[in-house]
Formats: sequence, C-alpha cells, structure tokens
Amino acid sequence: MKPEVKKPIFSSYINNPALFDEVFNNDGAAKNVYQKLLDLYGNHSIQDYVQLNNKAKSSFFNQGITFQVYDNKETQEKIFPFDLFPRIIDEDEWEIIERGAIQRSRALNLFLWDIYHDKKIIKDGIVPLDLISSSANYLHQMIGVDPPGGIYNHISGTDIIKHSDGNYYVLEDNIRCPSGVSYVICNRTALKRALFGVFNHYKTHSVTNYAENLLDILESVKPKGVDVPNCVVITPGMYNSAFYEHSYLAKAMGVELVEGRDLFVENDFVYMKTIRGPIKVDVIYRRVDDQYIDPLEFRADSSLGVPGLFAAYIKGNVCLANAPGTGVADDKAIYTYMPKIIKYYLDETPILNNVHTYHCSRPNELKYVLEHIHELVVKPVDEAGGYGISIGNRLSKAEIKVVQEEIKQNPRKYIAQPIMSLSVHPTYIDDSESFEQRHVDLRTFTLLGNKKEFVLKGGLSRVALKKGNLIVNSSQGGGSKDTWVLKK
Amino acid sequence: MSFEYSVTYCAENNYENPVENAYWQFLIVPENNDTQELISVEIKNSLEAKSAFSQNGFGFQTIRINTSERFQKINFSATFKLKKISFNPFGQIPIFDIPSNYELVKSLNFKVDHEPYLRETKYTALPAGSENLFVFDTSISIFENLQKLNKWIYLFIHFNTGVTHVNTLLEEIINNPEGVCQDFTHLFCALAKANNIPTRYVSGYLHQGNGYFGDSQMHAWAEAYIPQVGWIGFDPTNNLLVNDNHIKVAHGKDYNDCSPLKGVVYSQGANKTSHSVEVQAEQ
Repeated sequence: MKPEVKKPIFSSYINNPALFDEVFNNDGAAKNVYQKLLDLYGNHSIQDYVQLNNKAKSSFFNQGITFQVYDNKETQEKIFPFDLFPRIIDEDEWEIIERGAIQRSRALNLFLWDIYHDKKIIKDGIVPLDLISSSANYLHQMIGVDPPGGIYNHISGTDIIKHSDGNYYVLEDNIRCPSGVSYVICNRTALKRALFGVFNHYKTHSVTNYAENLLDILESVKPKGVDVPNCVVITPGMYNSAFYEHSYLAKAMGVELVEGRDLFVENDFVYMKTIRGPIKVDVIYRRVDDQYIDPLEFRADSSLGVPGLFAAYIKGNVCLANAPGTGVADDKAIYTYMPKIIKYYLDETPILNNVHTYHCSRPNELKYVLEHIHELVVKPVDEAGGYGISIGNRLSKAEIKVVQEEIKQNPRKYIAQPIMSLSVHPTYIDDSESFEQRHVDLRTFTLLGNKKEFVLKGGLSRVALKKGNLIVNSSQGGGSKDTWVLKK
Repeated sequence: MSFEYSVTYCAENNYENPVENAYWQFLIVPENNDTQELISVEIKNSLEAKSAFSQNGFGFQTIRINTSERFQKINFSATFKLKKISFNPFGQIPIFDIPSNYELVKSLNFKVDHEPYLRETKYTALPAGSENLFVFDTSISIFENLQKLNKWIYLFIHFNTGVTHVNTLLEEIINNPEGVCQDFTHLFCALAKANNIPTRYVSGYLHQGNGYFGDSQMHAWAEAYIPQVGWIGFDPTNNLLVNDNHIKVAHGKDYNDCSPLKGVVYSQGANKTSHSVEVQAEQ
C-alpha cells in the first residue's frame, strides 16, 4: 500500500505579484487579519480541507439551496459553488464600506423622489433629461406619487470591488430586487458547521440579524392608519432563479410567502386568500419586476401579478418594496452621475469611488470606446446578472467587430469602463486540487426605511471560478465565500 | 349654455372555452373637468358580477369587474348622464407673443415639465425620414400651426374603417394613409411632438347628432399644450377644434394608456369582443 502524501494547504499556492492578493503580501507573508486563520489551519493538509469542503457542500444540498441558470437551450438547477476559505474584512475597512453604502442609498432615494416630483436635478443641468426620457424603467404612473415613508429603494445591493490600488470601488448599485442575501446567511451556517474551531477564534459580526432588520424596515413604511402591518413576500414562483431566497426570507421574517394568485384587490385594498377568509395585506416585499406586478396597469399577458395592485398602491393602501419605478436609478448610465448625485442632494463627497465610465450615447466617448474596445469592459445599461458583458482583452478580432457593430446600432444601450483589476483571494480549485488566486467582489446589502437604515455586516463575496475571469455573477458560473466583518 | 348627454357603452365578450375567473377594467367613465360634469353612472353586466370604481395609473376613474363563476359569454353596459358646459375655444385665445413662445418650448425647464408628452412612444414614433413631414412656420403662432397640422392630417389620411387595427404603427399609416380616429390622433401627436409641442392622446365620446344609431365606437383626439393658454383639444379626424360635442374620458401618451377595456382572463383559447357606443343629447 502506498503511503498517503499529505500536502500542506498552501504549499503549492502561486502568488502572482501582478495581482492584488487579499491574504498574502508579495513576500509570501500573510496579512495581519489572516495570520490567526493560517496558524489555525495552515498545518492541515489539502485532503483535510477537501473533506471539510465536501461536508460544507453537502449542507447546501441538504438545505436545497439552489439557483437556476438561464441560457438559450434550457434552464438548469445548480448548487451555488461555495468556497470554505473565508474572506475577512477588518473593522476600519468595513466602516468605510458601510458609510459609503448608506450614503449611496440615501442619495439614490432622494434622486428618485426628485425625478418623480420636481425634477430639480435635471432642471439644474446636473443629470441630462435624456436619462429619464429614454429610460424604459421611468414610470410615468409614479409621477407625483408619494411612497409610504418617502422611501423608494428599501433594499439595495451595492457591488464593490477592491482594486489593485487597495481602494474600494463601486461597480453597480442594484435596486431592482437585488438577490443574494440568503447565500450570505447559508454560507455562514455551512462555514460554522465545518470550521467552528476556527470561526470561534475571531470576533465576527453575525449575519443572521438580516431578516429581523428587513422586517423592521418593511414595518416602518406601513401605510397611514395601519397599526400593526401585515407584511408578505411575493415571488414569481418556484421557477424563479431566486425562489429559494424568497422562501428563506419569508420564513426567517415569519411572514407569508405568496404568489400573485394568492392575493386579490377589493375596493383598492389588498387581501390574502386564506382558509379562514381574506386577510388584509399592508406591506409587500415584492420580488416581481415592475412590468409584471399588475396586469391591469402594466403587462396584461402576465399572470404573475395581482390585478388592481397598482391602484391600491397609488391610493396609499399598500406599500410595495422596492417602490415601482425605482429601476430607473438602477440604470448603469445613472451610475456615472452618482458622485454628482451624492454632492447635489447630500452635499458630501462620495465615500466609495466610482469607476470611470464612458457613455456610448455621447459622440466623443463613443469614438473612444469604439477605438479602445480591447482595453474596456462594455456593459448593456439595463441588464442584470452579468448578461451581455464583453471584456475587451479576452475578445478575438472578430468578436471585437461584433461588439463594435452592436454598440453602433444602439449607443444609448451601452457604457464602457476600464478593465478593473479586482483583488484576488485564495480559492480551492477542484481540477488542480490546490488553492489558486481567483478574482473576488463583494455585494453588500443596505436597507432604508422610515428614519431607519441598516447595512448587513457581511456580504456576498463572489468568486470567479474560471482562472483570470472577472465576471463573478452566479449566473455566469461564479462561486461564493463567507465574509467575516470583524468587531472592534 | 349647457347640454345634457346620455352615453351608453356596451361590450360583449365571447370565449371559446369556459372561464373560471376574470378581471376587466373599463376606462370609459367621462371625466369631470371644467367643461363637463358627470351626473350619474349606471353599470350592468349579464352575470351580475361585482363591480367597483377604481383609477388607472394616471388618475382616471375606472370600473372594475371581477367574476368568479364559470361562464363563456358576458355582456356589459354602462350609461352615463352628464352635463356639458358650452364653450368657445376661439374666445379663449389671447394675443400670442410668438417669438417667446417658440423660445419657451425649446427651454430645458419646459422640456422637463412636459417630458411624458414629448417622449416618443410606440404608437407615436415617426419612421426614419418622416420627421419633417410637417414643419412649423415660426412666423405664425403655435396655435395656428397646430390648426394647420390638424387640417393637414385631415386631408392626408383617408378615413376608412377596417384597414388598421389597435396595434397599427405610424410607418404603415404614412405609407398607406388610410385609417380611423386613433391613427389620425397618433399622427397628430407625433408631428406636434416633432415640433416640440407636448401632445397627449385623448379617448372619449363624440356626439354625432341626435337620432344617430348604429355601431358607433369610442372616439379619439389630441390635446396639445400651448404656451399662454394650456391644453387645447384638436380633432384631426374631423378637422375640428374640440367643442361641446366631445366628451372626454381619459388622456395618456398614446392609445396604450387609454385602451377602454383591459382584461385578465384565466382561460385558454380564443375570445371575441365587440363594443358599441351611443351618444344622445337630452337638452
């Protein structure tokens, strides 16, 4: 019998000095916050790690935590790949992220209020009129409507990266039903099961308080005259890619998970059908897009929504979170104006950096983009989930031509950014049976309510599992890591 | 002087297969405004299903009906009695400060305030190359230009039913200028907007004279925003300024915001809907 050779975990780790490694310095020494972690399981072998990793993975299978990938041919149900080696963010860095995320959410909320009321920011020439007049997500039905509590973007998901210069940059503000928070919580559960002996050596903030804070925020925006609001989560149904999350959040908040057919509207109030008769619903956390919420007001060909829901909303009898029409500020073209939007409404300088963005709708910038596609990331302004993104240095000459043509056909649809060098994090790769550097980003979750706000101390660190890949979205084959935010 | 009108709207829906559950929303109730006052509403349907008033996203009153018993055919009827206050559109027109009116409509603040009714929509999008079909003469007032546009469309499109349908786009109308009030109105809106004038689609009823029966339909016209005056109605189908024979129901960016009947029907198979409208003066 051959003796089993035990390789220490990081024995074959290649630290490319051109990349910003979050764990190791260029000389190979571990950074301070990771020292204890490496001391604790640096002596274990790769085989031990694989065993623990499999144990963690099975906990996802057992919990049924899956998502679906859409492509042209079929939809498949997948387990979200999880990497047991955690990402650690110390308290000082976290403070910057948290303040920055709240600042952006507040500014976006004031921006939304303004563009659905006086539109001062456009009249003052800060944001061009074209950004709303050519946006399919700007809902005229919302003009002059005052959402309960004055809140539009109750739930925001801000995607942040650490650049090779060591600073944090925001890539996107997602305010159209951002998903991923359930993975944050499940990742923590899986990690604690597999690695409690390591976890308990760090003072890490809990992430399980998300649901109670979400419920708190939803209750804070109850309609006028309601004492104890009845909140529900509405889902498009079990075939939606984030159905697990919808059911998790409803369960964790202790509220009902409903589909459109479970609700009805009578005299502009919303009710839930139950075996004990109708129960009035006051606040709806909706995970259904604007165009599907009410077939009588929006798309009539959909049965996902509730006929009459929008009228109940504008009459102030029910609150929808996020508010209809919020998606106009989720447009990647609006993103470019975020530093100006923050300055305009809050008179503050942005805490988190923006990535320089070129608008293909502007002739000068279009020319630059068409000539420099090989060194830019080109993104459609209105797609989520990493669909339709092209990364210039990975394209063949023929592919560059295709992208150029697409942009020329519809310049308003595209923005471009320099290719950012995302930081890398040691990630276990099955094929090589060792740790390798992989690019990572961070989705944070910010809640905004009536005189309340909350940022989840943690987040979804998404890893691009393919070597050199920069797109981390789960729908593009990304994985995730548990993210520890340390206590002071 | 005022007139009283009685408007009757009827619709009949037939379904190929039995329907278990359905919602309908009617956008057919005359608006209350400076020139008209709703006196009474009577709603009936053959299934005796519950009906209720609500509103659409632009604040216009709707009638909503929900059925829960199995059916294949349903008839609706609604009768509105209203008072129309006589007005003379020409009497309201002031002396225009022509150059400053054209300056105003080009200003950013004006464009921002009127964004919904300046934006190109599916049914008011002009095909490439036809933006200059009707260019305003800036030596005369916006109002005069709009009157000329009204007449130009009246002469350009030949009124003919059965050629177009509710989803007809302007490209088709320009290539083959035949159609109904909806097409006249969409073209009016598109060309007025191309000249920087905010314009909205109006749906309503037209009184065509007492004793007129038959399968009359809802009518459509346009309202344009004229500086120093406000919203003025133009009826390009009849080359008229809107007068006391026009009974307004709702306005929107185009037909899509004003369709008189929207339904969500939980059933498979084809369906057929027919409407009829009758307007009687009761003075």
